[in-house]
Amino acid sequence: MKHAPFFTRRELLRTTACGFGSVALGGLMSRDSRAASNPLAARDAQFTPRAKRVIFVFLAGGPSQGDLFAPKKFITDNHGKAIESPVGDDGQIRVGVAQFLPMAPVAPVRPRGNSGLMISDLLPNLAGVADELCMLRGVVSDNKAHAPAALQFHTGHIAEARPSMGSWISYGLGTENDNLPSFMTIHPKQDERTYGASFLPAIHQGTPLRVPGNEGDLAIANLQDADAAPESQRRRLDFLQRINQRLLHRVKTDSQMEGVIESFELAFRMQAETPALVDLSNETQGTLDLYGINKGPADRNGRACLMARRLSEAGVRFVQITMDGWDHHGDIRNALPGSCAGADKPVAGLIADLKRRGLLEDTLVMISGEFGRTYWSQDLSGTSPIATHGREHQQESFCTLLAGGGVKPGFVHGVTDDFGYKPVQGRVHLHDLHATMLHLLGMDHERLTFPHLGRDYRLTDVYGEVVRDILA
Amino acid sequence: MIPTAVKRGSVLRFVLLGALAIHAASNACHAADAKPANKEAEASFTKNVLPILEQHCYKCHSHEAEKAKGGLMLDSRIGWTKGGESGTAIVPGKPDESLLIKAVRYENFEMPPTGKLPDELISRLQQWVAAGAHDPRVTRATRSTRRIDLEAGRKHWAFQPLRDELPPEVKDAEWPQSDLDRFVLAKLEEHDLRPVKDADRYTWLRRVSFDLTGLPPTVEEIREFETDESDEAHEKVVDRLLDSRAFGERWARHWLDLVGYADQVGTSNSVFAQHAWRYRDYVIDAYNNDKPFDRFIREQVAGDLLPHETIEQRSANLVATGFLVLGDIEIVEADKAKLLVDIVDQQVNKTGKAFLGMTIDCARCHDHKFDPILQRDYYAIGGFFHGTSSIYKTDRGVWSDVNTNELPETDSQKAERTQQTQAHAERLAKMQLERKQAIARKNELDELLKNEQLPKDERDQLTKERNEKSGQIGTLNRDILHADFFAPAVPQAHGVHDVEAPGNMNITIRGNPRALADEVPRGFLSVVTETAPHVPQGQSGRLQLADWIASSENPLTARVAVNRIWQKLFGHGMVRSVDYFGLPGERPSHPALLDFLASRFIRDGWSQKQLIRSLVLSRTYRLGSVHDDRAHSIDPDNRLLWRMNRVRLDAEALRDAMIFVSGQLNSSTGGPAMPLEFPENVGGLNPKDVNPPNFRLARWRPSQDFERTIYLPVIRHSGQPGPAALRNVFDFPQPSQFAGQRATTAVPTQALFLMNGTVVKERAAAVAERLTKSSEKESERLDQLWLTLLNRPLSPSERSEAEAFVLAAGDEAWIELCHALLASNEFLMRL
Repeated sequence: MKHAPFFTRRELLRTTACGFGSVALGGLMSRDSRAASNPLAARDAQFTPRAKRVIFVFLAGGPSQGDLFAPKKFITDNHGKAIESPVGDDGQIRVGVAQFLPMAPVAPVRPRGNSGLMISDLLPNLAGVADELCMLRGVVSDNKAHAPAALQFHTGHIAEARPSMGSWISYGLGTENDNLPSFMTIHPKQDERTYGASFLPAIHQGTPLRVPGNEGDLAIANLQDADAAPESQRRRLDFLQRINQRLLHRVKTDSQMEGVIESFELAFRMQAETPALVDLSNETQGTLDLYGINKGPADRNGRACLMARRLSEAGVRFVQITMDGWDHHGDIRNALPGSCAGADKPVAGLIADLKRRGLLEDTLVMISGEFGRTYWSQDLSGTSPIATHGREHQQESFCTLLAGGGVKPGFVHGVTDDFGYKPVQGRVHLHDLHATMLHLLGMDHERLTFPHLGRDYRLTDVYGEVVRDILA
Repeated sequence: MIPTAVKRGSVLRFVLLGALAIHAASNACHAADAKPANKEAEASFTKNVLPILEQHCYKCHSHEAEKAKGGLMLDSRIGWTKGGESGTAIVPGKPDESLLIKAVRYENFEMPPTGKLPDELISRLQQWVAAGAHDPRVTRATRSTRRIDLEAGRKHWAFQPLRDELPPEVKDAEWPQSDLDRFVLAKLEEHDLRPVKDADRYTWLRRVSFDLTGLPPTVEEIREFETDESDEAHEKVVDRLLDSRAFGERWARHWLDLVGYADQVGTSNSVFAQHAWRYRDYVIDAYNNDKPFDRFIREQVAGDLLPHETIEQRSANLVATGFLVLGDIEIVEADKAKLLVDIVDQQVNKTGKAFLGMTIDCARCHDHKFDPILQRDYYAIGGFFHGTSSIYKTDRGVWSDVNTNELPETDSQKAERTQQTQAHAERLAKMQLERKQAIARKNELDELLKNEQLPKDERDQLTKERNEKSGQIGTLNRDILHADFFAPAVPQAHGVHDVEAPGNMNITIRGNPRALADEVPRGFLSVVTETAPHVPQGQSGRLQLADWIASSENPLTARVAVNRIWQKLFGHGMVRSVDYFGLPGERPSHPALLDFLASRFIRDGWSQKQLIRSLVLSRTYRLGSVHDDRAHSIDPDNRLLWRMNRVRLDAEALRDAMIFVSGQLNSSTGGPAMPLEFPENVGGLNPKDVNPPNFRLARWRPSQDFERTIYLPVIRHSGQPGPAALRNVFDFPQPSQFAGQRATTAVPTQALFLMNGTVVKERAAAVAERLTKSSEKESERLDQLWLTLLNRPLSPSERSEAEAFVLAAGDEAWIELCHALLASNEFLMRL
C-alpha cells in the first residue's frame, strides 16, 4: 500500500497554499478522523518494521576512525615517513597539509568480543558491547566543512533547508505519546536546520532539550515560569482561554485559532510531564553507574543518554544526543582520550541498558560524526614533531556504528584502500544510510514523500539504496 | 527524415535539442546499419561483458528491475545508445568519450555506487567499447522518455499573454465600490453566494494598519477615524499609512523573504556580510519611494550595467545587485569549480522564483518533469550568471567571499569621510601611544620584579600593576586591530560585476562542473520567448535578461507580482502557490481579475503603492471575517472571498506590535544591523588567521531592544539572536530559503513562549506600567487597554470579567491582565 500521510484541516490549508489542489488530498482527509484531529497520532509503517524508534548519537566534529575503529597496516607501517600524496590531482588538497605523514593510531586498537570488531583501548566500555555493533567502514558524504557536512547528515542536503531525518520519521510514523513531541534533540548544535521540519508541518520539528545543569535550569526553553506562582499562571491561562473561546465562538470556526488553543493545552501538559521525565533521581545507582553519571567527564553525556532512553521508552520516535568535541586538528594524542572518556560509558551504557530492557531489538541506535578524519597527520604549525600532530577532516570515507533495530550484530561492512581514503568495497553514501534507516523503520525511502513547490520531495532526494548486506 | 509538414514548435524543439538529438539519431543509424552479428564478438560480449552488466548495473538500469535510474537502461543496445538524462552512455570505439566508462572509472559519476569495480572488470568494459561496443541484444525497447511539447505548454494559463479584461456585469449594482469588487461579486453570484457584511470600522482600521505598516493603530488614530464621518475617511487613513516610513519597513521584509537575505555570508564560521544592510535599506527606500516595479527588477538583476544620471542613482543601482549574492553561499566549499556552478544555480533559482514563479532549477539535470522548461533553458538563463562574478577567493585558507563594489560618493559624503578619517587617525595614534607606554611600563615592572630582595607588600603591589598592564596591552591590541579593520572607507556594497570574458554556459551533467555537455547560447524560457537576445560582445547579458523579465509582454512577471501583493492583503493568493505558477499548481481563483489587475499595474507604471491603495480601498477588503453557514458549505476555503481571511501576525509584526503598544518602539533610519563597532563582537581580524573575520554578538546596542525587527541582524548558522529571538518561535523563514508565503503554525513551543517567556513578561509589565500611569480609574484603564492592544472598545461582559480578574489577581493584576491579552488569539491575529 502506498503510504498515506494524514492531514489536519490546518495542515491541509497550509499544503494547499503551497501549490497542491485540494482535490488530491481531500480523499485522504476522511480516511482516519482520529489522525485528522492529531497530526502526531501514531501511524502504521508501510511494511513490517524491524525498528520502531531511533536514537542517534551525533559525535560532532568528526571522530577519527583510524584511531578508534579501523586501523590500517600500511599507515602503521609507514608511521612518520613522508609518502606521496594519496589525493589525486583533482585539486582537492586539504588546508594545512603540506606533506603526508601517515600516523599510526594514538592508542592500541584490538579485536573485541566474539565478533572481533576492532575498537580502541580508549573506548573500553564500548569494546564491551562490540558484539552488538554493526560497523560501517565505507560511509561517504559530500562536503569537507562542518556546517554543510552536518547539515547533510541530518537532512541529506548540504546547503538548503530541507526537513531533517527526525522530522521525516515523525511525519511518517507519528508519536506514541500524546503528551510529548515525536522528535526531541538533546544538546543540539546551533544550526536549527539540523532539526528543522522545513516544509513539513512544523509539528514535526525537533524540540531541543538539555540536561538541566542546576536548580531552576529548564530542560526545554520556557518550560516553566520561575517567577509566577502556579495558581496565578493558572488563573491567567483560564482567563486567556476564555477570551480565546469567546472569539472562536464569534467566528464559529478557525483552524488557526483552534490550533493555538490546543497548543496551550499541550504546552501545559508538557510543562507538567517533562520535568518528571527528565528527572533521573529515581534511577538506581547501578543504572547511573552504567552511564557514568556523577563520575567526572562522562556525567553530562551520561545524563543525556539516560534521558534519551527514558524519552525513547516513553514513545518519542526520534531522539538525538549531540556530543561535541571530536574536531581534533592538533595534538590528537592528548585530546582524543578526553573526548573518548566523555562518551564511552554513556554510549556503551545506553546500548547495554536498552539491551537488558528488551528495547534494543526494536530501537535503532546510530553513532556517527558528520565525517571522519584522515589517516595522515595534520600539522597546524608546520614545524612541530608528529607526536603533537592532529588529523584533517575526511568525508571520502568514515565509520558509522549501528546497533539494534534489525541490523546484523557484531558485523563489519565496507573496506577502504590502504590509505583509508576511499572505499573499495561496501561504500555507503549518506543517502544510502538514510534509505536503510527508513527501511528498518518500515518505510520505503522512495515512497515517503511530501509535495512542495510542485513536486514530491524525499529525504534521499533522487538517490539512496538500502544497504541490504547489513540487515539481520 | 523530417516530415514535410511540421509545426513550428516541433522544428524548433529539434533544433533546441541540438547535438543531443543529432547524436542519438546518428547512433540509431549505426544500429540500423549493423552488419550480421559477428559470432566471435557476440561470444566475447556474452562471456566478458554481459555478466558485468547483469551483476553490477541491471539492478538500477534494466526493465527486469523496473528501474531506469537517470533514465538509463543497460539491458539493450538501444538502451545505452539513447542513453539517459545525461545523454548517450557509450560512444563505440571511444572509451574516453563514453559516459559509462567514465562512470565506472569514478570520473564523472561513481558507478556502481556501492563500490568501484575491480580494475580487471573496468578494463574489460574499456576493451569492449574500444573494439566497437558490439552488442547483440536488440529485443528490449527502452523506456520512452517524455519529450517536452512547448506548443502544448503555451496553452497553460500562466504562459498566455495577459488578457485585457473588462469588469463583468453584476446583479447587485449597489455593493461594488470599484472594478475589483465587480469581479469578486460576479464570481460569488455565479455560485449563488453573497458577501458577508462589512467589518466594523475598528476591525478595518486594525487590519489596514497591520497590513500596510506591520503596526497597530494608536488610540489617537482610532479616535480620529471613529469620528471622521467624511466620505474620504478611509482614503485619508490609507494615504497616511502609505506615506509613513513604516510602510517600507513592512513591505521590504516581504521582499527580503524572497532573497534569502542575511547579514551573514554563507553558514559556516559566522562570517559577517558587512554591507548587507545597504541592500535592506535600498529595498525599504524602493517601497517608500514607490520605485516602479519594472525598474526595481532591472536594478536588482543588472543595476551595475544600467546607465545613471546621478551619483545617488549609481549607488542604488550597485547596491541593488545584492539581490544576486545575499543568499546562502557555501563560501567554504573547497571545490571552486563546483562553487561557481552552485552559485549560478542559486541565482537561476532565485530569479525564477521571485520574478517568474517558476522552478527553473528543477531543470538543472534534466528537462523539467512537469513544466515546459527544457534543460537547455536552465543553461540558457544560467549563461547570464555564468558571465557574472559574484565571489572571489580570499587569501585565507579555502575561503571565498562575496564581492563588494565601491560606491561613488557625493561631495558631502566625501567631506564627512575626510573628517572621520582624521578623527580615526587621531584615535589610532592615541591608542598606539597608550600601548607603547603600557609596554614600556610593563617591561619596567618586569625588571623591578627580578629583584629578589623586594619586600612582599611591594612585590604584590608591583605584580598587580604588571598584570593590569598586561591586560591593558591585550585589550589595546584587540582594539587597534579592530580600529584598523573598520577604518573609515569608501562606502561599499555586496554585489556583482561582469567577468572579463563572459560567454555561454555548458550543460553540467548532474551539476558536476567537470562533466560538461553542450554549450548553450544565452536565452530565455523557450515556452515564453524563443528568440535569443542580442548580447553585446564582452557582456554577461544580464541587462537583456532584466529587460525580458521586466517586459510588459512577459506573461509571468506582472501576474506573479500582483498575486504576491494580493496574498499579503487578502491572506491567500488568487493563485495560492505564490512562488509557483507551473502546471501542477492550481489555477487562479479569479483569472480575469488577476489579468485585469496585472494589466492595470503595468499601465499605471508598475506602481506598487497605487495597486495596494486600490486593493485596500475596495469593498472586498472591507468585508467582515465572520462565518456564514451557507457560504461555508459551498466554499469552505473561502476561495471566492465571501468574507475576509483572518491572518496570524508574522514574527516581525508580533514583536514590533508588542513593543509599540508599550509605547517604547524607536524610529530608525536604517544603517548597519550587526553591532560590529564593539570590538568584543568581532574575531579573526589578525591577517594571519586561517579563517575569515567573524562575529559573535556578545554585546548589543541598547537601542536594538526597541528597534523594529527588520533592522535587527539576520543570521543563518543558528536561531535568530538577542532581541530577534521571537523570530525563532513564530515561523520566520530560514534565511536559506526563498519563501513568498510564510508558514503559520500553532505549536507548543509558541504557547510556552507566550506563557512563560521573558520577552512577553517584560512587555506585559511595560504595558501595565504605561496603563497605570495613564489613569487612576480602573474603568478608564480597561478602556485604554482594549483600545491599545485589540484596537476596539471592550464589551460590557468583557468589562465585568476583566474587573473580576483584576480583583482576584491582587498586586500583579494589571501585569497579569496585559500578559493574558498579549498571548490571546485576538492580539496574535488581524481579523
